[in-house]
Amino acid sequence: MFKTIRQRFRDMGTIKALCFEAEKLANADSQKEPGAEHFVLSALALPDGTARKAFLRIHADPDSFRAAIAQQYEDALQNVGIALSRDAEISGEATPIPTSKGPYKTQPSAQALMQTLTKGIMVKEKKADSTAPLLSAHVVLAATSAQYGVAARAFRAMGVDPAKLAEAATAEILAYRACL
Amino acid sequence: MINLKSLPPADNPAEALAAVVALRVMADKLEHSAVNAALEQGWSWSQIAEALGVSKQAAHKRLANLQPKTDS
Repeated sequence: MFKTIRQRFRDMGTIKALCFEAEKLANADSQKEPGAEHFVLSALALPDGTARKAFLRIHADPDSFRAAIAQQYEDALQNVGIALSRDAEISGEATPIPTSKGPYKTQPSAQALMQTLTKGIMVKEKKADSTAPLLSAHVVLAATSAQYGVAARAFRAMGVDPAKLAEAATAEILAYRACL
Repeated sequence: MINLKSLPPADNPAEALAAVVALRVMADKLEHSAVNAALEQGWSWSQIAEALGVSKQAAHKRLANLQPKTDS
């Protein structure tokens, strides 16, 4: 019982860190609210390291996800006949905006990701083991469930099959838990 | 005027919708840097709103969190 409560508090800390970093990344990129792609970037920075390991497990470089976001924007614009020069690339130098002082808000893609994470994946995990920790790989797993959107397109831009990444994330979650 | 013929074919909505998202992000970024530059050059919110074709209240509400860069 005590372990379960302690883990709940730890998970809340993980979610807080995840949201805070996602918002910071979005604001640095001149976007008011974080999207699912910012949550994936934020997950890659979480200390448990399982999100990064999930990418590495399928021989994808986790550090290239940020470049893949820029790439998918470029590709999308190219499809409507807009070619961006390297200097003007969409996620190039952005004007950072200050963090909003009001209630925490996210883009719908991030809301969907958090819904999948907290109401789908984690509910299932906690049913199996109430002391199972929320890991960065769970965030990646939630992100792979989206078929469209910036995060899904960025996965494709870096040659990552979301189904394979989901498998790798699940494997990393199990490996992490086995070490506990 | 924008040439509608250059729009992506409607038979590929996924690509067209992704382009819409990219254009919105690009427009937002351009707006933020342009408003920042205008504030640095001493433009008033009335002038910025007029140039953007929106009301002063709307411009202020959406963009007031932008702070012009200072040299300090």
